[in-house]
Amino acid sequence: MASEIEKGTKYIPEMSKSEIDDLNKSMKTSSLKVIEDNIEKMKKAWKNRPKAMEYFDEISNLFGKRQEEIKQQKAAGKKVIGYSCIFAPIEMIIAAEAIPVRVGSGWYDSAKLGDRIMPVEVCPVIRSTVGAQMVNLSPFLELSDAIVMPLTCDGRTKLSEMLADHKPIWRMNPPRVKDDPHTLSMWKQEIMVIKEKIEKLTGNKIDRKNLKAAIEKMQQATKAFRRLQDLRKGNPVINGRDAMLVNQTALWDDIERWTQKANELCDELEKRLEQKQYSTYPDTPRVMLTGTPMIWPDSWKVPNLIEESDPQGIVVVDEQCSGDRILYDPVGVDEWTMSDMIDAIGERYLMACTCPCFTSEHGNEDRINWIIDRIKEYKVDGVIYYVVRGCILYAMEYQRIKNVLDAMNIPVYYLDTEYTREDVGQMKTRVEAFLEMLEARMDI
Amino acid sequence: MVVSAGVDMGTQRVKVAIIKDKQVVGKAQEFVGFEPTKAAEKALEEALKSANISREELEHITATGAGVDMATFADSKVSMMGADAKAGVYFFKSARTVIDVGAEDARAVKCDEYGIMQDFIVNARCAAGAGTFIEAMARALEVELEDMGPLSLKAERASPINASCVIFAESDVVSLIHREEPKSEIARAIFDAMAERVASMVKRLGVNPDIVLVGGVAKDEGFVASLKRRLGIELLIPEEPIYAGAIGAALVAAKKAKRARRRAQ
Repeated sequence: MASEIEKGTKYIPEMSKSEIDDLNKSMKTSSLKVIEDNIEKMKKAWKNRPKAMEYFDEISNLFGKRQEEIKQQKAAGKKVIGYSCIFAPIEMIIAAEAIPVRVGSGWYDSAKLGDRIMPVEVCPVIRSTVGAQMVNLSPFLELSDAIVMPLTCDGRTKLSEMLADHKPIWRMNPPRVKDDPHTLSMWKQEIMVIKEKIEKLTGNKIDRKNLKAAIEKMQQATKAFRRLQDLRKGNPVINGRDAMLVNQTALWDDIERWTQKANELCDELEKRLEQKQYSTYPDTPRVMLTGTPMIWPDSWKVPNLIEESDPQGIVVVDEQCSGDRILYDPVGVDEWTMSDMIDAIGERYLMACTCPCFTSEHGNEDRINWIIDRIKEYKVDGVIYYVVRGCILYAMEYQRIKNVLDAMNIPVYYLDTEYTREDVGQMKTRVEAFLEMLEARMDI
Repeated sequence: MVVSAGVDMGTQRVKVAIIKDKQVVGKAQEFVGFEPTKAAEKALEEALKSANISREELEHITATGAGVDMATFADSKVSMMGADAKAGVYFFKSARTVIDVGAEDARAVKCDEYGIMQDFIVNARCAAGAGTFIEAMARALEVELEDMGPLSLKAERASPINASCVIFAESDVVSLIHREEPKSEIARAIFDAMAERVASMVKRLGVNPDIVLVGGVAKDEGFVASLKRRLGIELLIPEEPIYAGAIGAALVAAKKAKRARRRAQ
């Protein structure tokens, strides 16, 4: 009996080494090409792109400098802790001197591999992540000693089982009803379990001193992030794609260095704002993105389309866990006691989150409020609601968000797609029509 | 006085309309074939000839349609939805929704009294909601395409068919023929199925009268009857619905020409 059950726990099929190597090589080559193309496109769209962006271009190479650094630090004894979702308490990973890296996959090629073990109806983020694991494509997944997996949606719940074929998985069970009286205490227990696991893996105790230092580090990052976001509120001094790239690299870069580099970029952009040196025409329609995470590099097809469309648009803000939600909220501590800090971490990761996996007496009203506030702050002309096939939670929340936006007289377009490059032409038609509409509304 | 042209590069035909002083003065259509650019140029030439206007008099050409990039001679382009909205209000002042059913796709646009699009929805993933579906089914029924509509109107009920996909529908039609179901009822089932897809798309956008139906399929009385039943509302249909995209584009072109004049001053 036991052995039969054991067989049943394996998802990922055996593959020959030559097949793995072959697929790895071709997918890596194609991914490097996509990264290079994306950067080329961003450079082309933004003449006079500041030098400070070069750093982020370099970090955006998933197979480059950052991978090497982590390898070296790992060889010197540091532990790497991957996470599939921004619910993972990063401050604790940093406090224990481990390296946090996000492992969700944005590779279209590897989604096709995932099709070997699950139907195409499953969300492509999941299929692609499993596919990447099958051929060791993701350097960060490979380097992880363990992976924190908050079970936010059905896809991620089963993904945790599939990845368990290869890696130790630390599951977190986020309470989905936000306004229950016991919600926070339940979540705090989840965080305490992860804390213990981190301590055991790293051999480092998370104490008042190192946790405070880690929280402060992340607060600095949030400050730099918000500084950059403030620069996106007025006439454009940075294109949307470039800002999105800066924000997303925070998921795998060394956070202190990222903070410093983001501040350097802001220094330059603030000067440009004074000199009225804009990255594109100030009357370009201002777009907000919301929905499924848009993961580097392949999913840049959407912001590329928006900012290269005729008429052109600019992404000024997003409501995505791959972008503006990563660093938006700081951990707010009243008193630097261990218990207060852990409470504050719990609140930050749960209560501030606008993920559609939550509900409450008023539905996921935090997300709606977030969107309404950002639309006003960033003077958004229209919203693109991005959903990949199989992303049920985002797809289902659309109607409610649309009702709210209709009442605000803000056009919204439901852009559904897949992890594929084949629909770019068709998407272009739809995106162009939407931007044409925004432009026509601005004329009146 | 502005003279402008609109070129609608459809998947089967290219349509051209010439507009002078907000009035359509010439139009022509050509099959796209293997050389869409040439076909478009030929259609433009014919349209100009029918309007008795020389190429030099044209101030601005705007292209639209699925093959918009093939109209290399155009001065600008506009989306198919934007062109539909303009044309809908040009045909009928009261139009607030325009449904366009072409050979290979269907779409619906909400617009304001100026013909500026407010919202839109596209079905371009599946042929079961577009004109080629009728063509394929007419072949399966061994009926001429233009006879499908009148045939379907004779039926009082529709045969049950699986209409989620052209391929499945075709095999369903074959087995219905074997069961000797009347061809009229099968024809009606085909239009009902297609209308159901278009109607549910329009309902997602919100039924916002008055509704104008354009595109090549708007000429098909069988489809029109089915769509009216499904939407439960009257449909306004212009005399030559196939030219909607071209006329809309020509109206956009006129606007662009005027703007260029203003800027030149």
